[in-house]
Amino acid sequence: MGERDPVDVGMEILRYYEEGPWPSHVKELKKTRYPMEAYAMGMAQRKTAWAAGSAKIRYVYTGFISRRTRDGKITELHFRVWQPSGQIYTTDFLRKILDFADKYGLGLIEIAGQQGQMIISVRNEVADEAVDALRAIGTDIGATGDTIRELATCVGPALCEFALYDTLAARDYYLTHPKIYEWMSNQLFPFKFKMKFSGCPFDCTRASHRSDFGLVGIWEGAPEVDHEALNEKIGKGEVDPRELAGSCPSGAITWDEKERRLNIDGAKCKKSMECIRKAFPAIKPGRNRKIAVLVGGKVKGRFGPMMAKPLAIVNTYEEAADFVVKTVEAWMEGNTPHKDRIADFIFRTGFTKYLEMLNVRPQGKPANHPRLVAGAVLDDEERRLYGDWARKIVEQYGL
Amino acid sequence: MTAPTKPAKAERLNKVFPVDLDKYLPEPVKRNYGRWVDRRFHGYGIIEHVSETGERVFTVKVALPPNARLSADTAEKFADIADKHGIGAIRITMAGNIEFLAGSLEAAQRIREEVEGMGFPVGGWGPTLWGINSCTAFLTCTTAVVDSPSITKALGDQLYEYFTGEKTLPAKLRIYVSGCPAMCAGGTGIDIAIVGQWGAPPKIREEILPMCLPPPKALARIPESQVFLVQVCPTGALTLRREGDKIRLLLVPEKCINCARCKENCDAFDYDPENVGVAILVGGKYSNTGVGRRLARVLVPWVPAVPPHYREITAIVRRIIDVWREHAREGERLADMIDRIGWGTFVDLVGVPVSSMHYDRPFAGTRWKDEAYPSLRDALR
Repeated sequence: MGERDPVDVGMEILRYYEEGPWPSHVKELKKTRYPMEAYAMGMAQRKTAWAAGSAKIRYVYTGFISRRTRDGKITELHFRVWQPSGQIYTTDFLRKILDFADKYGLGLIEIAGQQGQMIISVRNEVADEAVDALRAIGTDIGATGDTIRELATCVGPALCEFALYDTLAARDYYLTHPKIYEWMSNQLFPFKFKMKFSGCPFDCTRASHRSDFGLVGIWEGAPEVDHEALNEKIGKGEVDPRELAGSCPSGAITWDEKERRLNIDGAKCKKSMECIRKAFPAIKPGRNRKIAVLVGGKVKGRFGPMMAKPLAIVNTYEEAADFVVKTVEAWMEGNTPHKDRIADFIFRTGFTKYLEMLNVRPQGKPANHPRLVAGAVLDDEERRLYGDWARKIVEQYGL
Repeated sequence: MTAPTKPAKAERLNKVFPVDLDKYLPEPVKRNYGRWVDRRFHGYGIIEHVSETGERVFTVKVALPPNARLSADTAEKFADIADKHGIGAIRITMAGNIEFLAGSLEAAQRIREEVEGMGFPVGGWGPTLWGINSCTAFLTCTTAVVDSPSITKALGDQLYEYFTGEKTLPAKLRIYVSGCPAMCAGGTGIDIAIVGQWGAPPKIREEILPMCLPPPKALARIPESQVFLVQVCPTGALTLRREGDKIRLLLVPEKCINCARCKENCDAFDYDPENVGVAILVGGKYSNTGVGRRLARVLVPWVPAVPPHYREITAIVRRIIDVWREHAREGERLADMIDRIGWGTFVDLVGVPVSSMHYDRPFAGTRWKDEAYPSLRDALR
């Protein structure tokens, strides 16, 4: 029995994915001009058929990825294309994009919203024209490689009740920020840079893990309780106040049976959104709205996946721009090894040093894990702080 | 479509951003921007948003094929449906789903019928499977070791009922499927993350390697720490070895943690398909609800990934879901349940064999790198 052609073997495997209730990518790919042989080859050999290729577009240095198969027979090129903020498309705009994909590409798009960018396969020979065509539509080629990579938002005030700040406007502000614009044209960073904008602590854009800078809407104090509406909901049996109190991870909620009032201790509240989720709109986020700036989230990078750390609480999204610019400049111009993310840079520098660099004082409640080591280095101001406080107590006791 | 013109160099460097919200948002959304006050669920696939002006917008959530790949043909049909029944707009979600916006519940139901007729399921809100994210893998990626879109498809077929809400879960469930440890599907901060693994340290393809290294003469002169591939390795597993006047790049298998960073940057790192499998991580989440945001932990360090059915992977995922369904309280996400019952208990319930990988913690950095037990308390069963 002779060896079978791996493409045939692969095609046979791929046919399996055309069946079944879940939407099939193979069915979709077959409707386009995508080179199925390359995919089939990969499936048969259980190794990807693709290797790095090359493409040149005049005066465009980022935003497209070129591939070729290992045997060099098939090439593939795709563009990352900026999406409108909130990833809402009117059908007019969508049709323009689809016409573009048909005319310049393979008639294939990848519309994952994760990056704030849409991926469109383009034919190599018309790539240069395609950039101009995209700009005529009103959008542009996005980013690849070591540069500003993505600015993604949740749906925010466009369609969500929980949005605590205007995430769409924030993304537009950063997308057109002169510094970011400057960085975006070239690949000058050690590694990629991402920013995400989430309107509330539900964090639909995953700003707390998947972005170097994440802006998450929060509020100060307790959520706002409309007692009348809440009692109405309780009367209807939609909400159980004891369950609300029990499910609060911060233990901030108590239910007063006599007064029929739900009391929330703002100092304890961890903004978990548990009560708001269950009793909205009777319980709403508080009025004193702020934005939490998180720094150093990443999936890739030298020291593995990391959660972002809170850096500061600000009032407007413009205030965070200063942190972003200072951090990126230090990261870019320091001795950062290639392929180190901002989190790796901060990890090497030390978070305290990093805060000093930004001129940010630690804020908020004291850490939950207090110091175990008595030795401490304090500056003059800090020593004075403790001295003054001690003298005040001495006076109080009349010693 | 307007004909493109050929601009000059300076002009060519200017970028065009889709930032004018006035231009890109549909009318009903623009009118009620920031004025939404209430919401209601209609089944598992339709949400009603109520504005303070009394206007309503209904959103219908539809699952997309793995890796959100759509032909222009199908997308055109979606646009037709959005025009015919909806308000002429769609939204792309972070989870690789698509949402149709409609003006009334009847219109939303009609969209649902049409889309379901095309073979796309509607659902994914409330205590259901919210969607499966997948990276590109063998479709275009040069790094992937397993094909995540096909794993996603095999999983989707198995878990279809959980998406449409025919069978419900204790709370929301989301799954990420990545082709390699670079984890482009979205990292591990999710209920169930499936990540492609070499299973063994990579092998170097000597014939390709020179493409990723400086020319031999330069290589002889520059210090080892300045060589890109040596720099990229986080554990120092890649080193230069000088044998006479020949310089070789060496991979020390004992130091390798299979993080994919070298393969991401150079195509010379090869693997044996027989060793390839996936790791299954559970109990991560991004939302601040319950126990708060956290990364998933490794439950199964390696299982074989065998196309086309991927039976091993789908069976384990179903097992995890069954354990969760049996032991969780109402509204409790996987991470919250694991936190309540304890990791050890959860491992026992799923019945995973415990190996050295359950104690080894690269990069956790809290105490030693390897631990026999996390603490004395955890050691006592």
